[in-house]
Amino acid sequence: MTTVDLNVSPMGRVEGDLDVRVTIDDGVVSSAWTSAAMFRGLEIILRGKDPQAGLIVTPRICGICGGSHLYKAAYALDVAWHTELPPGATLVRNIAQACETLQSIPRGFYALFAIDLTHRRHAASPLYEEAVRRFTPFTGSSYGPGVVLSAAPVEIYAIFGGQWPHSSFMVPGGVIGAPTLADVTRATAILEHWRSEWLEKRWLGCSVDRWLANRSWADVLAWIYENESQHDSDCGFFLRYCLDVGLDRYGQGTGDYLASGTYFDPELYARPTIEGRGAALISRSGVYADGAYHPFDQARVREDVTHSYYRGSAAHHPFEGETDPIDPERGREAGKYSWAKSPRYDVPDLGVRPLEAGPLARRVAAAAPDAAAHQDHDPLFGDILATIGPSVMVRVLARMHEAARTYRWVRGWLDQLDLHAPFHVPAPELADGRGFGATEAARGSLADWIVLERGRIANYQVITPTAWNIGPRDGDGTPGPIEAALVGTPVADPSDPVELGHVARSFDSCLVCTVHAFDGRTGRELSRFTLGESA
Amino acid sequence: MSSVLWLQGGACGGNTMSFLNAAEPTVIDLISDFGLDLVWHPSLSPQEGAQARALLQDCAQGTRPVDILVFEGSVIRGPDGRGTFNEFAGRPMQDWLRDLTAQAQVVVALGDCAAWGGLPATEPNPTDSTGLQFHRRVPGGFLGSGFRSRSGLPVVNVPGCPAHPDWITQILVALATGRAADIELDDLHRPKTFFTSFTHTGCSRNQYFEYKQSTLSFGDGTRQGCLFYEFGCRGPMTHSPCNRILWNRQSSKTRAGMPCIGCTEPEFPFFDLAPGTVFRTQKVAGVIPREVPEGSGHATYLAQAAASRVAAPPWSKKDMFVV
Repeated sequence: MTTVDLNVSPMGRVEGDLDVRVTIDDGVVSSAWTSAAMFRGLEIILRGKDPQAGLIVTPRICGICGGSHLYKAAYALDVAWHTELPPGATLVRNIAQACETLQSIPRGFYALFAIDLTHRRHAASPLYEEAVRRFTPFTGSSYGPGVVLSAAPVEIYAIFGGQWPHSSFMVPGGVIGAPTLADVTRATAILEHWRSEWLEKRWLGCSVDRWLANRSWADVLAWIYENESQHDSDCGFFLRYCLDVGLDRYGQGTGDYLASGTYFDPELYARPTIEGRGAALISRSGVYADGAYHPFDQARVREDVTHSYYRGSAAHHPFEGETDPIDPERGREAGKYSWAKSPRYDVPDLGVRPLEAGPLARRVAAAAPDAAAHQDHDPLFGDILATIGPSVMVRVLARMHEAARTYRWVRGWLDQLDLHAPFHVPAPELADGRGFGATEAARGSLADWIVLERGRIANYQVITPTAWNIGPRDGDGTPGPIEAALVGTPVADPSDPVELGHVARSFDSCLVCTVHAFDGRTGRELSRFTLGESA
Repeated sequence: MSSVLWLQGGACGGNTMSFLNAAEPTVIDLISDFGLDLVWHPSLSPQEGAQARALLQDCAQGTRPVDILVFEGSVIRGPDGRGTFNEFAGRPMQDWLRDLTAQAQVVVALGDCAAWGGLPATEPNPTDSTGLQFHRRVPGGFLGSGFRSRSGLPVVNVPGCPAHPDWITQILVALATGRAADIELDDLHRPKTFFTSFTHTGCSRNQYFEYKQSTLSFGDGTRQGCLFYEFGCRGPMTHSPCNRILWNRQSSKTRAGMPCIGCTEPEFPFFDLAPGTVFRTQKVAGVIPREVPEGSGHATYLAQAAASRVAAPPWSKKDMFVV
């Protein structure tokens, strides 16, 4: 048996600092360790500050999903302060966050993920030349329009929130402004332009309605070959290419998923509470483990720091959470290896599990039975998982599928806006309280837990989708979701392991990886390798 | 042809995301029309792992020239000055920076964190973050006030949280088209062309400010009034072109009803986000704004305000931004 250790530092195009180390046995990854390599201490900065400081600070945790941070930070305060939310404010919050996600879908696909499809590893594919023609950075025929048009949905965000990224216009009790007629008509026009110019013309090659008629994997396969336009669309091409180069055959992950859900029905969440949250959601929450559905309950979340650069090895619920950093060099002596904590979920009857967050997790939740009339019910990915199982391809397809579903929601919410109704109700600024706010950023479950005491923040804990996915091993030694998904990945050439990039970037994590090889037995560096060489 | 190397330290990537929103020129135009040679960018470049490291090492040793080094994010010096809270490609980022800033022709600090330390440097500054050449308003920062890049310029600060895409693309185009000499810098090393005017300049609420008419509540309340008096708007004290060069080609925070939070100034986030300071005007004796527009004193401000209120026409007490 040949054992090679690879250390990919930095792994690029993941928004942040990520190092990935893998052990490869006979050409297949047998173990993986993911390390977040940067710490800013924003939870520490929030202690003792103004109760509303999270509205300013948490969007700045992540430049690509700041609007999602703002959304859940506002809901955490709504819960803590027992606010009343007018329906118009709920709609504007939904529209804005969804537009951030519509930005992230093409930007993540073309700028971060699809570049690897031009890697020379795939040069034997009959579709390779076409992949290069479409997806080469800056000059690809699809890259340019995809990246440039990704800015359009956040123009809508700016109409309501002033700017994107980093507005703080969602405040307890509603939103800070009130839209005019021109705001809504302009927003609608920008959304329809983005739909026709990118979503339908470039990505789908068909109407949103035609794509959303697909209910099964068999439907999707038939859709590809239905006509030339769909066959040659970026979506049609992406699927054909994945099936040809085998991206449907690795990157499975654990098969257990978490969605905290997002977007509220404007009538059903006028008084935000933790208990009332699940039933008011449009994009549903849920936990799926060992093939069974469970309702999502924030009380079952823990953060384990056994392998993270924080003091101790306790696993706390976020209301009792601690952020007490230690010198990483000392941490490494104790077997710690990441700035990410390890979020875990106590699944009824199954115990503590790592759960994959993201679009695929949301699509699993959407396939669950018993959706209320206002809730998302979408059997497509239930069927895809049952038919072909999870993979790099399926994870990315779930993300892209959401472009069509989310577009339709945004249009519906714009049409529902009553411009003469209130958009804010002043909030009772309670000195003490606890709040929980959660959403789905483009890349998965995102939540805040806030504790207020005597008019200031006593504790503030954020769990990001990247922490759910990229987090290290827990106290039981159970790997995190990306660590698990990397296992079984075939690496054709350990000196150039693009396959690792495919898997890591299928999660679209918000982090930024050099490959160097170590002898599996002595740990001595043998040589340095290249990952992700340009075509 | 100008070569650009772009790195991220204690960053959220917001300046990169803002940059990707650029319209004239787009990021694609910058490469195709202005010949920008993007040596490496953490979110955009195909190279990673050893290949990226080799590129960085060549740049750090000067064997591959870097015309413009763009840095986004704070310089993280903790713990104990070793910088290991932010490791990148096998070394503390501050060690890479030390080497690369000595080689680059021009160094650009993009966003508040790189310019002044920004949000990560907020009390209690757990990571010992600082800016490239300033710590908040104090000259020095990571490189020291005497630092000059190879072209003879100090660090060019393009602040904002994030910076507007045009602020950075225009500076890149200016450098790429031989207009480096036209980039005049203010005392905080910001390009004067962008940071001489105020956020207030061009704000759609200026007529309400003129007659001292306050917005009284959020939501519908922002259909009228100025956000300076009650909601802590820093527009009159903040240097930025946010209401001259609109955001996402559409709007600005103040136009949308959100008070300016002063994010192009070194003190951001103001008052270290102490209780009672978020979206709230700080006042003397409960009524007089503690900070008045730049350059005016309390006495002249009060006299002018009294006259303005008397002169206020009826429309200044009504909604203007109506359905």
